[in-house]
This record gives sequence, C-alpha cells and structure tokens, in this order.
Amino acid sequence: MHSKLTVLIAFLLTLFTLQSQAVPTIQHWQLANGAAVYFVPTEGLPLLDVQLVFDAGSARDGEKLGLAALTSVLIDQGAGSLDAQQIAEQLDSVGARMGASSSRDYTSVSFRSLSDQQTLKTAWDVLTKVVNTPSFPVVDFSREKQRTLLSIKQREESPGTLAQLALYRQMYGPHPYANPIQGQYDSVEKLSVDELKAFHKKYYVGSNLTVVLVGGVSRQQAELLVDQAVGRLAAGEKAAPIATVDTPLNGAVIHQPYPSQQTHVLYGMPVLKHNDEDYFALYVGNHILGGSGFSSRIVKEIREERGLAYSAYSYFSPMLQKGPFMMGLQTKNESLGEAVKASQQVLTQFINEGPSEEELIAAKKNISGGFALKLDSNKKLLANVVGIVVSGAPLDYLNTYVQKVNALTAKQIQQAFQRRVSIKNMTLVTVGENKDANN
Amino acid sequence: MKKLSVTVFLLNSLYSLTAFASPELMPNMVHEKVLKNGLKILVKEDRRAPVMVSQVWYKVGASYEYDGITGVSHVLEHMMFQGTKNLEPGEFSKIIAANGGQENAFTGADYTAYFQTMEASRLEVSLRLEAERMQHLNLQQKEYEKELQVVMEERRLRTEDKPQGQTYEYFKAMAYTSSSYRNPIIGWMQDLKDMQLADLAQWYQRWYAPNNATLVVVGDVDAALVFSLAEKHFGAIPAVSFAPIKKRVEVPQLGVRRGIIKQTARLPYVLMGYKVPVLNTADKETDVYALEVLSGILSSGNSARLNSRLVRGQQVATSVSAGYDLNARLDSLFLFDGVPADGRSLQELEKAIITEIDNLKTTPVQQQELERIKAQVIAAAVYQKDSNFYQAMQLGMLETVGIGWQKEAEYLDKVKAVTAEQIQAAANSYLIEDHLTVVHMQPQPIDSEQGASHAQ
Repeated sequence: MHSKLTVLIAFLLTLFTLQSQAVPTIQHWQLANGAAVYFVPTEGLPLLDVQLVFDAGSARDGEKLGLAALTSVLIDQGAGSLDAQQIAEQLDSVGARMGASSSRDYTSVSFRSLSDQQTLKTAWDVLTKVVNTPSFPVVDFSREKQRTLLSIKQREESPGTLAQLALYRQMYGPHPYANPIQGQYDSVEKLSVDELKAFHKKYYVGSNLTVVLVGGVSRQQAELLVDQAVGRLAAGEKAAPIATVDTPLNGAVIHQPYPSQQTHVLYGMPVLKHNDEDYFALYVGNHILGGSGFSSRIVKEIREERGLAYSAYSYFSPMLQKGPFMMGLQTKNESLGEAVKASQQVLTQFINEGPSEEELIAAKKNISGGFALKLDSNKKLLANVVGIVVSGAPLDYLNTYVQKVNALTAKQIQQAFQRRVSIKNMTLVTVGENKDANN
Repeated sequence: MKKLSVTVFLLNSLYSLTAFASPELMPNMVHEKVLKNGLKILVKEDRRAPVMVSQVWYKVGASYEYDGITGVSHVLEHMMFQGTKNLEPGEFSKIIAANGGQENAFTGADYTAYFQTMEASRLEVSLRLEAERMQHLNLQQKEYEKELQVVMEERRLRTEDKPQGQTYEYFKAMAYTSSSYRNPIIGWMQDLKDMQLADLAQWYQRWYAPNNATLVVVGDVDAALVFSLAEKHFGAIPAVSFAPIKKRVEVPQLGVRRGIIKQTARLPYVLMGYKVPVLNTADKETDVYALEVLSGILSSGNSARLNSRLVRGQQVATSVSAGYDLNARLDSLFLFDGVPADGRSLQELEKAIITEIDNLKTTPVQQQELERIKAQVIAAAVYQKDSNFYQAMQLGMLETVGIGWQKEAEYLDKVKAVTAEQIQAAANSYLIEDHLTVVHMQPQPIDSEQGASHAQ
C-alpha cells in the first residue's frame, strides 16, 4: 500500500510543469479625476464584486486616533436624501451587500450584487449616493461613536487582542502604525462629526482612489458603472506619503498580566514594504517557517512535537511602509517558558541556517501546485487583484508568480532572512498569567 | 455491478429569476451513486476553475456522545492526521501539501468531516488517502498524549479564555435537559483529561465505515471518473452493521429557565433560546421554513428589525442578532444574542427582544418586508455558488444529518412560499415563554492580581 501511494504521487508531481496556469488579464483605465480602475470580466455567475480602495487608513488619523475608522463606519449611515434604514432597505431589497472598513493603510468600500440590470441598478444607485454624498447625520454619528467605544472596551477582554495592540505599540513607537485602527477610548470620545466630514472631504477623492471590479459585466458596462459611481468625485489631492518606518528599534520583552488560562505569545518587527525585492524569498521562506500549517516548522515543533499550542504561525504583512513580520502562539500559562524557548529556537535556527533543500522543494510544490486555488472564485480573484494594484505590483504579477517562486534557492532565502529579520530587533509580547517568559 | 447514477436538476427555479444566467455555464446537477458497501458519493461538476474540493462526511459528532466521553468525536478527528497503517503521523498532510493542496477537518454536533481542496487532477490523491484512513487508522499512545494536549489548548483558546464562548457553553447545558445537544462539541475539560486511547479506538471502530459516510466532490471533475476512482479506492472497505442510534429526544420544557453567568469580561451579554423543531423533526415542514424566514425578518441584512429598531432606533443594543439552524439533526434552539448599548441594561435589552417577538405574534409582517428577505435568500443562493467548498458543505451536511441532499433543491421554493400568516403562526406556536432559556452574562472586573476566576 505504502509503495503504491508513493508511485502515484511521484507520477502526479511530474505533471506540475506541464500544466498551464490560466491567469486572468487585468484591464486598466484611469478617470479624469485621477481614480485608477482595474477590471477582470468573469463568466459563469451573474455576479459583480467591487472594491473601492481609498488611501485613507488609520495612519492618516494624526492626533485624532480612530478618525479614519469612524469615518468609514458612518459612510453608509446616511447619503443624499436617504437615511441609514433606507440605504439598508434598498440594498436588502435586491440582496446586495455593501460594507466599509479601515486598515492602517486603506479604507475600503466593498460591494457585491447580482449583475442583472435591474438588480444592479438599484444597488449601484445606493453605492453612488454613499460614495458621493454621505450626510454624516449627528444621531448616527453619536450612536456609532458609542458603539466604537464599547468595542474598544471589549478589546480588553481578549488576551490575543491585547497582545497585538502591545506589539504594534512597541514595534512602531512614534510611527502612526503604532496605534490601534479603531483608536483609543479617549481619542474617539473627543471626535466630532465635523472632523469626520473634513477627513472624508480630504481623502475620499479621485486621486486617492483605486477601483477594482470583478464579475459578469462587459467592459462597456463597467466603464459606465464606474463613471456613475466615482466619476464625479473631486480630483482632490493625492495623500502625502506615510512617514517611513525608522530602522527597527531594539527589541523589547513585554509582559502584560491577564487572568487567562493561556498566555498569548507574539514576536514581531517591521520588515516589508509593498513590492520589496526580497518579497518572494521571504514569502517562500515564511511558508516553510510558519506559513503553511502542518508543513511548517513552527507547527511541527510547537504543536506536532510538543503539543504546546493549537495554533502557531508566522507571516509577513507588507504595507505602504514597513509592515510587520509576526510569529505567534498561545499556550497554557504553565508551558510558557517551554513554548518561548522552543519558538525562539525555531526562529533563530531558521534565520541562521535557512531552509533545507527538501523543505524548499516541498514548499515550491505546494505553492505552484496550489496556484489555481488562489483564483478559484470571484471573491479570491478580487482580493488578489486588489492586492496587486494597491501594492503597485506589475499587472502581470500572477503570470510570473510561480516562475519567481520556483527560481528561488535555499541560499537566497537564508540571505534574505539574515538581511531583513533579526532576533535582536524583535519584540516579544506575552499576555497571560505567567510573569516570566524565560522561567 | 455499478448502480445507475441519479441525476437531479437543482435550483431551476432560481435561474428562471435571473434573466441572463445560462444553464450551460451553471451546471447544477448533483450526480449520486451508492457503492455496494454503502458509501454514498455526491458529485457536482463546476468548471469555473481547474480545482476541486473533496469532502468525506461521517455520521458522528458530539450529539452521538454520552456523559464521560464528551469531545471524543473531535479528538478522534485530530487523530485522523496522526498516522495510519501505511502513513506516518503527519504524512497525510505532507502528501496533500506536496500536491499543492489545502486540507483540514471539522467536527460539529451532528457530523465529522474531512476535506482537501486541490487542483482538479489531484482528485485521486485525496480519495486514496481518505480511503486509507477510513479503514487503517493507527492510534498510537505517544501521538495521542500530545494531540490531547493540543485539543485542551484549543479548548482554552475558544472557551476558557473567551467570555462569550464560555457563556454559550453554560447556556446550552442549561437549555437542554435530555438532548445530547447540551454538551460542548469540544467536550468538557474533565472528560478530555479522563479520555483514554481505547475510547477513541472504540469510537473509530463504531462509526468510521463506508456505510456511515458520504463522499462529496465539487469542482472541475467528471462524475463518472469520480465514481470509478471512488469504487477503486473505497470499494473494498467492508460495511459494518450499526445498532440504531438512541433517540435521546429533549423532554418538553415546562417553564422559562433563567441563569446568571459571571465572567471576567468588560461587556455584558445576553443569550436567549426557544426550543424549536427543525427539518429533520418537524411535523409540519412549513413551520420550519416559516421560522427560517422569521429569523430573516429579525436579523438578515442591515435593514432587518433587530438592527433597525434595537441598534439604530431605540439604541438599546450595540449588537444583537437572531439565529436558527434548520439543518440540525435534533430539535434545536431559536437563538438570540446581544450586547446592551452603553448605559442600557441586560434587562432592557431582553425586554426589547421580547417586544419584537410579541410584535411578530400580533401583527402580520408587511409584504414588502417579506419580499426583502426573499430577495436576500435568492441572491445568497447565487453568491454561494462562488465557492465550491460551500456547495459541497451544503450537500454533505444535509445528507449527514438525515435530511437528504435532495432537500437543497427545494429550499428556495419553500422559502418563497412562506406567508405572513405562517410567520405569525410560527411565532405564536414556538416563541413562547415556557420554552425559553435566558442567560445573562455579568462581567466581573478584570483584575490580573486575583488570578483566573473560571469555574472549571
């Protein structure tokens, strides 16, 4: 039985190289107001998925922490002559979905609707109003502010969330990425509706906007839809670049006591901007280190060998400025010392020695063999295209993706990790009952 | 020797609603075949992308368990990755990864399911490996001891250290008396501590057999090929005979149940549940679809009543929702949960929810509101087709809980047929105080000096 399995699999693996990867072509055009539009027509389902990405994330908050996030929350709470209930009813009446959310870099409005003409018209008219004429009613502002304040309170009942917040605070020091996206209790309490309006006026503008459409509409339809929804937005000014992240601060060890049964362990340091030339080496390296579930070293060592945690992982998160490399796990308080020691060893060893040839081959097989899974739904396609265009990667990024992964050597990965990731600069945060990470 | 495969057209009604959906682009046929050993195979060809998902569903889960071994289905699920006669611990995952696949498994009250998502040509890898672990699991003490620790860590992460998660666990145990739905899927911590490898071995012997399983494949595959590969790999696995499962029905509830749960937390939380029938148990199927639409009226979309009236209008809740799972195997709960707005109490929020229920009892839902719910259901049915995984999940779940996968085809029509009068009648029949359980979670100060204040 065993030998048969092996034969079958060896046979299938030879097919990898023969298989052609169907990659969608991304169409692109620009509006007079500066908005950049990207479109991938798809067949098979009468659906349209759209994402509007404004360069208006929480890094733009300045002193008013939480401003970007609360502005995005208010965007669909009143527009033109419609109140929050009417907006919701019109979308629900055709089963369309719309939502807005903020990250540190961006605010995104996402939209999904059936693409038949009547349905789409109803839903798109609502989107158009929301984008062009949000009214920021005071009653909705007060309510959503209160809800945000409660949600900020609720962060304190999650040791995992507390660990994330503490890590960002330490990793980024004076940089705006240090702050929570939703802001702090005190800062949100002080926000005024006029500040939201001013933020919206400044940042929700054509030259700050990227539109991505994926779905069952023609190019001509797509152009008309985009013109209607965002063509009349003021050009405005492109947001100034976000401040660069200084050379990583020296790492720190931070413990935050919390009455939980597990201690959450998080390592991190700022490393990667979008489109970094080390990206592929670090991405494939991380796949082996902690990015591929059961196949990754951190899971093998922490979970499979020692039974110390349910989840253990690492990832790079490229951003407009240096986004973090993070590694994390949670373990019962009594095991903290063992888990920290083991995870530190995994990381140190990987930085020093890089991956083995065998691990690299396995990672390449997994990534190239699984490439089709990245694009197997409109939803994933949209996420990939958004990722490509907001990061400024070339539009043929997906065409050369597998090739770039396959070209990497173990040496290149090792060198990239040594250049970019250092234990010395890494912060370790623990949140839980245990007070000494090295006991 | 092969039985004829049955082809059924699903969701025709849906596509007559959307003018330019062309049937040849949207194949909605489910191909069914049952092997001689009882393994049921369901295939849905979806050629939008060169990928497929393969899922094996077993009719066993937490609701099959009894006191003292709660959590055994889920621990066994973990052990299914820890070695077979012909595969080392972890080798299953390694082979899937080398083939570009993604895999995992999940355990619910009524099912345990395993899946691989892969480029479509790798189908046979998946089937061969699943057939191997269906019959040749090698339960080893060393792997077990370690994996049990992993499961306990999972429990701490999801329950002990999650105030709302732990509240839900106590709530269920209070709401159900004789139904096995009272136990947590992951198991009580003491039961995990007491669990023995022999418990798992028995559980595996008892439930892991082709005649207790359904193989579902959705994606860029040819049904005939799936059938022949399934025959090749699963065909020789012997069926086992099953004693009929004990019914363990819930005894009638004879009055409202109330409880308080104190948690280290910041925000209070209310959970409410009414005993209700489901598709599998209802005398009248129309009641179940009426409850389904009723839950939509309250909670589907941002315009629904709870958001509109309790979050926006009265501002008594910062969040609130209703939920109903008509696909459960046994009688279930129609649930409400919510967090009061700042300055409002759990009592006020509970009262506001009850008022909404009373409104449904006294006043028929307006036609326009009803149409809005139906439009969402119709759209959602198309959105779901964007995911092979979800489509497979629907078929696997319906089949596994005993409803039968064919029921999926009726869903839209049955929902569309629901009337305002049926909703009103369902509210009056089922959302009654004597069948209600209410839990208020009262937050206790987070004082790290005091140590953990958990009950277990």
